[in-house]
Amino acid sequence: MGAKEPIKIQNLSVSYGNQKVLKEINLEIPEKGITVILGPSGCGKSTLLKCFNRIIELEENVKVDGKLFVDGEDILHPKTDLIVLRKKMGLLLQKPQVLPMSIYENVAFGAKIHKKMKKSEIDALVERELKKVNLWDEVKDRLKSPADKLSIGQQQRLCLARGLAVEPEIILGDEPTSALDPLSAEVIEKQFLKLKENYTIILVTHMLRQAKRLADYVAFIYLGELVEFNSAPQFFENPKDERTKKYLSGLIAG
Amino acid sequence: MPFKKFEEKIFKGIMYISFSLLALSLFSIIVVVFVKGLGSLSFKMLFSVPKGGYYLGKEGGILNAILGSIAIGTIATALSFLYAFCIVFYINVYRFSKSKFSRIVRFFLDILWGIPSIVYGAFGFGIMLLFKIPASLLAGALTLSFVILPIMARTMDETLRMIPFEMKQAAYSLGATRFEISYKVIIKQAFPGLLTAVLLAFGRGIGDAASIIMTASYTDSIPTSLLRPVATLPLCVFFQLSTPFKEVQERGYAAAFVLTMLMLLVSLLARLSFRSFSKYVVK
Repeated sequence: MGAKEPIKIQNLSVSYGNQKVLKEINLEIPEKGITVILGPSGCGKSTLLKCFNRIIELEENVKVDGKLFVDGEDILHPKTDLIVLRKKMGLLLQKPQVLPMSIYENVAFGAKIHKKMKKSEIDALVERELKKVNLWDEVKDRLKSPADKLSIGQQQRLCLARGLAVEPEIILGDEPTSALDPLSAEVIEKQFLKLKENYTIILVTHMLRQAKRLADYVAFIYLGELVEFNSAPQFFENPKDERTKKYLSGLIAG
Repeated sequence: MPFKKFEEKIFKGIMYISFSLLALSLFSIIVVVFVKGLGSLSFKMLFSVPKGGYYLGKEGGILNAILGSIAIGTIATALSFLYAFCIVFYINVYRFSKSKFSRIVRFFLDILWGIPSIVYGAFGFGIMLLFKIPASLLAGALTLSFVILPIMARTMDETLRMIPFEMKQAAYSLGATRFEISYKVIIKQAFPGLLTAVLLAFGRGIGDAASIIMTASYTDSIPTSLLRPVATLPLCVFFQLSTPFKEVQERGYAAAFVLTMLMLLVSLLARLSFRSFSKYVVK
């Protein structure tokens, strides 16, 4: 598990209609560990994240240019098999979005799409993944009840389990804790710290403190440009760019 | 009294008045039809077909029209469902909901919605003449399916548009195809709305007279073949009310009552089944 080689981004530009949201991003994201994409709201970090599994294409009038290599393959190439690509990545959205089915079915949904499985295999999978995200004990007696009935923090953990069930290499998080209460957010953060041993995690956040708690590497994006990329200690202790220094000292509002 | 409070009171008042009017019109329609038709309502009427001289006040019932309406309504609803379903899934899942193409389709459907059903009837009749198709259950159901298509499609469309974008994102990012997302996620989430659309269209269908008067014609026997004329309740009401005989007019009201009850029954059954269908819907 985990990406086999670094994710390479070359000259990546994204525009919505006439508006350029990302400008010529060049970045190399190391395999394993947590890479945080940091920046103020509206700077294009979510857009960057959505390029990795190309769900950016679900939006209208989007134009993506450049190259993005995952496992040595340019995934922005039109011939890329999106199903295979998306199976490699688990995505957590800002607001947890459960699917209109039971807790059990939510976890099994992705896995069942990719592989024909026996009932006993699915049972085992659901239990394993729910245990990974510390949700099993809370829901084991009501696996058949609607996922919508869970609290929002539980829903986000369920979404994580659902993503992990398709056995991805990479986990993408789009401010996955910002809609959660502090306790649930902490649970999710702990999961990330545990998962980073085996997965490449790319996490978008505008919360500086969260970045400090979690990051192994930080990419700072400001107004659609990649300002600075460095290992977390370097980035926080010894920022090079003026804009990074300003952001870290709170002069650029998040 | 401060102005704001006054304003509040006025709008509350308007709301109460409109609600009362709504409730009043529903009840008065049912009561009037019931009272006027009461004398002719009987089980015999529900379960027998018109005998000779029925429209002059002799023996018989309206079973032909009840079965005919159910048949024509069901077939038309089924036909237009197939069509509407494909349209709305195409414009909402396979195309962007807000794309130019989707907007044009919606615009066309809105125009079709606005066309009076007698125009559909005339259109259907013209085609029948062209291909020498006789007035029949099939011809009537086909014409009727065009009348109710825009209603069903637009109502379904509104439901699909309400599905959160994030839900689609979540499903896509698990590696699902559009088809899998359609039938494993979107249908489940939209089910109550899709059902409402079907019912609405069915209700409109069995209530429509203008589109089928020329295409389905009328008959005193119960429907047995797609290629034979068929009786329907709205026309049954119309023919009987337009006779000069009091007792036949009374039967017309009785038939109108049956039609109304049929609709109410269908809606009620559907509402009751809603809960089990919408159990997993994400609010």
